[in-house]
Amino acid sequence: MTGTADVTALAANAHGFLSPAGVEILFLLVGIVTLGAAVVTVTTKQLVHAALWLVAALGGLAVEYLLLTAEFIAWVQVLIYVGSVVVLLLFGLMLTKAPIGRSPDADSGNRWAALAVAVAAAAALVWVVVDAFRATWIDLDGAVQGSTKVSGESLFRYWVLPFEALSVLLLAALVGAIVLSRRDIDGGTKKQPGTTGKAGKADKGGKH
Amino acid sequence: MSDILDVAVRLAAVFVAFLVLPLVLGQTEHKVMAHMQGRLGPMYAGGFHGWAQLMADAVKFAQKEDIVPAGADRRIFQLAPAVALLPYLLVLVVIPIGPGNAVGEFIDAGIFFVLAVLGIGVLGSLMAGWASANKFSLLGGLRTAAQLMAYELPMLLAAASVAMAAGTLSLPGILEAFHWWWVPWQIVGGLVFFTAGLAELQRPPFDMPVADSEIIFGAYTEYTGLRFALFLLAEFAGIVVLCALTTVLFLGGWHGPFGADGLGPVWTLLKTALLAFVVIWLRVSYPRLREDQLQKLAWTVLIPLALAQIALTGVVKVVIQ
Amino acid sequence: MAIPGSGLAKGLAVTLRTMTRRSITDQYPDVQPELPPRTRGVIGLFEENCTVCMLCARECPDWCIYIDSHKETVPPAAPGGRERSRNVLDRFAIDFSLCMYCGICIEVCPFDALFWSPEFEYAETDIHELTHERDKLREWMWTVPEPPALDPAAEEPKELAAARKTAEKLAAQQAAEAEKKQEDEA
Repeated sequence: MTGTADVTALAANAHGFLSPAGVEILFLLVGIVTLGAAVVTVTTKQLVHAALWLVAALGGLAVEYLLLTAEFIAWVQVLIYVGSVVVLLLFGLMLTKAPIGRSPDADSGNRWAALAVAVAAAAALVWVVVDAFRATWIDLDGAVQGSTKVSGESLFRYWVLPFEALSVLLLAALVGAIVLSRRDIDGGTKKQPGTTGKAGKADKGGKH
Repeated sequence: MSDILDVAVRLAAVFVAFLVLPLVLGQTEHKVMAHMQGRLGPMYAGGFHGWAQLMADAVKFAQKEDIVPAGADRRIFQLAPAVALLPYLLVLVVIPIGPGNAVGEFIDAGIFFVLAVLGIGVLGSLMAGWASANKFSLLGGLRTAAQLMAYELPMLLAAASVAMAAGTLSLPGILEAFHWWWVPWQIVGGLVFFTAGLAELQRPPFDMPVADSEIIFGAYTEYTGLRFALFLLAEFAGIVVLCALTTVLFLGGWHGPFGADGLGPVWTLLKTALLAFVVIWLRVSYPRLREDQLQKLAWTVLIPLALAQIALTGVVKVVIQ
Repeated sequence: MAIPGSGLAKGLAVTLRTMTRRSITDQYPDVQPELPPRTRGVIGLFEENCTVCMLCARECPDWCIYIDSHKETVPPAAPGGRERSRNVLDRFAIDFSLCMYCGICIEVCPFDALFWSPEFEYAETDIHELTHERDKLREWMWTVPEPPALDPAAEEPKELAAARKTAEKLAAQQAAEAEKKQEDEA
């Protein structure tokens, strides 16, 4: 263990690409696995497999966060995406159409357009990140920079406005979902969405 | 070198606890349930009051043929039990049982880690339900996923209340900050957390996903032998984890009326055992709810209660500062 | 309307109370069960009372009673009297794989030859061996409990009354004879 720490410290000092530390190699390997899982997610013809590969990709991303010492973000990633979003995705798949085996009609005609959008988005993101951080290195031996305390302080001190704006956006989405899922609103009854009427039978799932 | 040894010893201890505690709990469930129903429960295996019944069960499971249905998605079917079981092992690593350093591995955002990893266990049930190529299994998987919408939010909110009270997300940190009056202060949150946890574990009265009288055994219908045993082990390990977690978050973990230094782990285990007894007790006492009844309970009772608890926590926190 | 949740608490109380009580499970092979006194376990045969009237075999809904017999002539009781014929039981068997324990045979027997026995441990590994012959049925007869005692103020049973009458008659006759003898001697 101490040996690895020494190597890490050396690498952190040198910042050389040619003498990677154990953590950096691990970061790269996990990155490759994540990328592979993501590619399989969009290319596989088995719908549920795609969702499960998505779990692998999101989990790999969480590991990357961990390696970047962003512990809090990593667990949030697991909690929200792996634990909830993918489960909802699977739920939706099972409710509609989830055959075992390949579904030949799963191919979309506009996959080339999608590929173009994906490449453009990836290029923009990589460009932004590289431009913003360039040669910034995380000091693994110093104070943890991604701990809950640090994340919380920066979130509620410097980024409060975007945070609140996002909250309002999500709230609007929530209200919209409720309105969309309640059929008794637009009909003859002039109920307001905010009133505490008896909830419809079908809107329980839609609320979430 | 001592670092590695230290880590190895801790992990080994957690692993032993992971194997032993669910067995003890399973035997307790056999016996407590039997006596609550005026029966005796297992009496033969091992000689004295059937103490070795679960080991006998394990031997039986190990001998059974491992069947994969012809129409099943083979890989996912075989992978599902591991996905269901491993999260509980991981969670057990971070639960502190005594003061100071008595924890498998210290994690800064402990609550988040625990809740996040527990959520993965659901994937195991979903995978099993889908991959079995069985309509009952698929129904079980669907119910599992539907249930998630009910318990996830109240559980998070209740845990958030404790984190607010303690001002930290780490489990040992919460216990360091604990005072005895936190128990009445956080009692509502504790009840919400425990109830939501029962729903997460699919324990009666929230066992709709495995409702054996309706859909055979839900997602586990097609499983045999060791893989089935792994699912059962996951259920009991889940009970241990939930009870230990409730103990740590709401009942003060290793704090006790006396002897907190030496008896810390004893207090933790005692409270956990008490909660586990309650889990069994609830199973014997109450009939199964319907899925929509659980949703109603969660969205009209648990979530408002959890929000009220958060408000109360905030108010008290501001007042005492 | 009671306090909300009181029903839930009541449910918990019931199970907890049950847990503190002794369980009612019988540990049968280890501990013999305590059966009610008139348990209907198996049917025993008191051969001496059987007259081969075949009522039981005919009334049996399952036809599970097998009876073989032959006739024997009995020499006249008094010289010069008529010879009587008598039924002799050769075989009496009950197939307990067919028997449904309705007890009709016992009810219809006019001579009290069949009885309920509380014996119940007669399982066999082969279904054919469940046809039990008269010797086995006779063994079970000894496990039949005594008939319940009569009420203190009950009328005397008819059999006893008849027997007593005969005995009293005999005694009176003997007494009369003895008196007569004494008078003769005197």
